[in-house]
Amino acid sequence: NKTSFRYYYYINYLYLPNMSILEYNGGAVIAMAGKNCVGICSDLRLGAQFQTVSRDFKKVFKVTDKLYVGLTGLATDILSVDQLLQFRCNMYKLRENREIKPEAFSALLSTLLYEKRFGPWFCEPVVAGLTADNKPFLSGMDLIGAPVFGSDFVVSGTCTANLHGMCESLYRPDMEPEELFEVLAQCLLAAVDRDAISGWGALVHIITPEGVITKKLRSRQD
Amino acid sequence: KIQMSRRYDQSTTTFSPEGRLHQVEYAIEAINNAGTCVGLQCADGIVLCAERKVVSKLLAPSKTSEKTYTVDDHVVCLVAGLTSDANILINQSRLGSQRYLYKYQEPMPVEQVVKSICNYKQAYTQYGGLRPFGVAFLFAGWDRNFGYQLYQTDPSGNYSGWKATVIGQNNQAGKSILKTDYSENNSLDKNLKIAVKILLKTMDSTSPSPDRIELSTIVRNADGDIKHVTLKDAQVQKFIDEIQKEEEVEQKKSEASTGDI
Repeated sequence: NKTSFRYYYYINYLYLPNMSILEYNGGAVIAMAGKNCVGICSDLRLGAQFQTVSRDFKKVFKVTDKLYVGLTGLATDILSVDQLLQFRCNMYKLRENREIKPEAFSALLSTLLYEKRFGPWFCEPVVAGLTADNKPFLSGMDLIGAPVFGSDFVVSGTCTANLHGMCESLYRPDMEPEELFEVLAQCLLAAVDRDAISGWGALVHIITPEGVITKKLRSRQD
Repeated sequence: KIQMSRRYDQSTTTFSPEGRLHQVEYAIEAINNAGTCVGLQCADGIVLCAERKVVSKLLAPSKTSEKTYTVDDHVVCLVAGLTSDANILINQSRLGSQRYLYKYQEPMPVEQVVKSICNYKQAYTQYGGLRPFGVAFLFAGWDRNFGYQLYQTDPSGNYSGWKATVIGQNNQAGKSILKTDYSENNSLDKNLKIAVKILLKTMDSTSPSPDRIELSTIVRNADGDIKHVTLKDAQVQKFIDEIQKEEEVEQKKSEASTGDI
């Protein structure tokens, strides 16, 4: 009968040739550089294709007080990669007696992903932090660890075209933390509104030498 | 007796006719020449104290300690024995602890950290024909199931839990001081003093100084975080001065009582 046929159609949806496993759960992350500060934010949606399952699924994780990493892609791999990174960074701290720096962390993440070159982690990370001189550091990677180092912004997720467009329009260099927050929030919110599988709220972190300011945003809940 | 054990002491994997593993016993002997390590447990935390053997003005300032090592956020250990052997084992225990954390997303229970490193040590007494590790540890930590714990391990791979113990040089003298001075109900400060007192007795230096002593505490604070705090030289010196003053008073008393009429 008609309803069971429709249900069967959704189950096979993922196996259409233009469907990617990176688009199963949905999500978006932006990281942006300001004046001696960086901002990183993510949406909060977790879905199973079109069905929203959670509106509290954070995709940005703290590594050190001055270094955060955001991950988009398959949710289970987001969690696994974050846990693996914690393992590696804990060992780093024990062996070197200091916290890991953004440049080294980015390299660590890159090699971690490439180790699985022929059976990859389905996640595309974004690294945002402050270097030893409190200068902004941004890097983004594809799922097998190819890095790109941005001086202005780096994006990742299911709506990267939207995110890139918004960032290019709204970004200006040397923003103070308050301005950076506004620009970052507006870029993300506007971009995910045009993406069916991202959104449902956002969480923004602004990392400054004095500390981290975190704000949760309520957006269109659809 | 030493000559009789000649034939059975070349290989770890051979028992002697008396049923002993001589290589393991020799390894345990090596610990008895190492810098003393003391651990004392109380309701509020654990006190750890160790003697640094190699102290020279020519040494470059060290980024790490030769006696105290962090294994994880909630476990710390003191080393007695060959530092190079200890480095291998500490790396292994760190990896083991992180693997557990990755697998179960909660900190590895202290006894399991100790057990895993002891099993690693035991393998070198049974397989491969390699010599045992010449290291004994004092592991101190806190976990949710059993609270504060103190464990001693030796080259055989054996371990035991203690309320207070001493390993390394002159540990018998240290243990006798524990028998008289230590009680489970001691406060952390009292235990700090006892630890320094034991070290002053076991060290063969006539002029003890804070740069020879590593004194630290493991305490779980009100937020539930486990903090490992190493006391500064000035604080250690304060304890040394107090203890030496008390000893002077004791000596004067005993001299006065044995005087002639």
